[in-house]
Amino acid sequence: MHPQPAPFALTLLGIESSCDDTSAAVVRWSEASGATILSNVIAGQTELHAAFGGVVPEIAARAHAEKLDLMVEAALAEAGLGLGALDGIAVTAGPGLIGGVLSGVMCAKGLAMGSGLPLIGVNHLAGHALTPRLTDGVAFPYLVLLVSGGHCQFLLVEAADRFHRLGGTIDDAPGEAFDKTAKLLALPQPGGPSVERTAAAGDPARFGFPRPMLDRPGCDMSFSGLKTALLRARDGCIAAEGGLRAGDRADLCAGFQAAVADVLAEKSARAIALYLERAPEQPVLAVAGGVAANATIRARLQQICAASGLRFVAPPLALCTDNAAMIAWAGIERTWLGLRDGMSLIARPRWPLDTSQAAMLGSGKKGAKA
Amino acid sequence: MGRGQAERLMPLLQEMLAETGTPVAALDAIAVGIGPGNFTGIRISVAAARGLALARSIPAIGVTSFDAFAEGSPDPVLTSVAAPRGQIWLAGPDGPFPDPVSPDNLPEPFRDSGLDVIGADAAVLAGQTGGQVRDPQFPFAEAIARVAARRFGTPQPRPAPLYLRPADAAPPADPPPVILP
Repeated sequence: MHPQPAPFALTLLGIESSCDDTSAAVVRWSEASGATILSNVIAGQTELHAAFGGVVPEIAARAHAEKLDLMVEAALAEAGLGLGALDGIAVTAGPGLIGGVLSGVMCAKGLAMGSGLPLIGVNHLAGHALTPRLTDGVAFPYLVLLVSGGHCQFLLVEAADRFHRLGGTIDDAPGEAFDKTAKLLALPQPGGPSVERTAAAGDPARFGFPRPMLDRPGCDMSFSGLKTALLRARDGCIAAEGGLRAGDRADLCAGFQAAVADVLAEKSARAIALYLERAPEQPVLAVAGGVAANATIRARLQQICAASGLRFVAPPLALCTDNAAMIAWAGIERTWLGLRDGMSLIARPRWPLDTSQAAMLGSGKKGAKA
Repeated sequence: MGRGQAERLMPLLQEMLAETGTPVAALDAIAVGIGPGNFTGIRISVAAARGLALARSIPAIGVTSFDAFAEGSPDPVLTSVAAPRGQIWLAGPDGPFPDPVSPDNLPEPFRDSGLDVIGADAAVLAGQTGGQVRDPQFPFAEAIARVAARRFGTPQPRPAPLYLRPADAAPPADPPPVILP
C-alpha cells in the first residue's frame, strides 16, 4: 500500500503551534494495525485572545513558548511512552504566526538534539491535507478542500510531498469571515459555531448577499466582499431601528452562511470536475479545517459528492482543526519517503504547498502566502 | 545576531560541545538567558532549552540579563539592559525596576545611591548614582551558566522569558452593536 513500508512500525511525536493552539501528539503506524493516534493533547488560547476580537500574534507567541514542553510531556505520558520509544520528531515549520512556529521548531530541535532522534519539518497545510490518510486510509490521488480560519484552497494530493493547488481564496478565509461576522453581530468567538447556531432561526434569503467570483471561471474564491456586505446590511438594520434585533441577527447569520456555502459548493463542483479528469480509481473529496464542522456547508458538499460519485471524507472535528496528530502523521509519511531535516531547519511564516504555481496571496520580501 | 538565530543556535551548540569534548548526555542542566531583551530571540533559546532539558531529563534554569551582568561582582550593583525607543530596563540589589526609564533620568531609588553600574548606558547612569562604571566579569553566556550552576539543586521554575511589559494589543476600536430584544 505504501511505497516503502519498511520498517514495519513507526512511532512519531508531532508538535503544532502555528496559530492559537499548542498541541503535541504521538502517532504510530504499524503494518499490522495501520495508523493509531496514541495521544493528541491540545492547549487552546481562546480566552487569552477573547478581549481582542482575533488572535494577537505576540500573546499567542508568549503562550506557546511556555506550553510546548508541557504538551510534549502530556502527550508522551498519555501514550505511555518515553522518547526512547519514538522514531522521530515532526514539527510544524510553517506557514503560520512566526512566533509560535519558531517556538515549536526550537522545542523540537532541543528534543531531537537531546534524544538523537531525527527531526522532520512539516508544512502545516500538508498536515491538514494528509489527515484523510490518517483517519480513513484514503489512497492518492484525492481532492482536499482545506477550509479554516487562515486558509481556503482546493488541493489535489498526489503524494505525501506532491500537492497541486486547483484554486483558493484570493483574500480572506471563510473561518476568518465567520469570526468577523460574530464580532460584528456581538456573538461569541470562535464565530463558526455561534454564527451557525444563530443562523438556524434565520431567513437566508432576506439580505441577498453576494456570491463572489461565481461569475468567473476556475476554482478561486473571495470572501472579503462578503464581509463588507454583511457590515453594510448590519449598519442598515441599526440605522433603521437603533440597534440590532434578534431576528435581524439571525437573518444576517443565515444569509452569510448561505453565501459561503453556495460559493464553496459551486467551486467544489468545479474542482471535482478537474480532479475527475485524472480518472482516479476511487475518487474522494475530503475536507479539512474547522469550517468543515459547519453542518450546512458539510451537507452541500455531501450532496455534490453524491451527485458526482465521489466518496466524501470528513475527519472528526478534533482532527479537522489544528492538532499535532496530523503533524506526526505527516512526519510518518515523510519518513517513508526518506525525508528529514537538520538542526538548521527554518521556521517559515509563509510556505505555499504548491510551489509550482504563481502566488495567489502575498508577494514581495516575505514571499507567497498561498 | 539578528535574523538567523533559530537556524544557527543548535549547530552553534553542537560545535561548542564538540570543541570542548562534551557529549550532550554529560550535561547536568541547561542554563538559558530569559532577558529582558528581544522577545523573539529569547523565545527561541527558552523553547530550545526547555526541549533539550525535557529530552535529557535535566533541569532548565532561567537567568535574567541583570543577574548575568552582575555575576562575579563583589558588591551590589545597578545593572541596565537596553529597551526599545532609547530606554533601558534597570535592576538594583532588590531586583528589576518595573518600568523602562530614560537613561538620563534615573529614578529616585538609584539616584545618588553610590551603586556601581554595569550594562547599557553605564557611564550616563554612573554619573547619576555617584558610582563607577564596571565591566561584566564574564562573557554573557558564561555568566548565565555560572549563575545557573549556583542555583543547581534548588527547585527552579521552568524558564520563561522576562517580558516586563504586557503584549502590545489593543481591544477592538469598533464597539459591538446594541442588541435589541
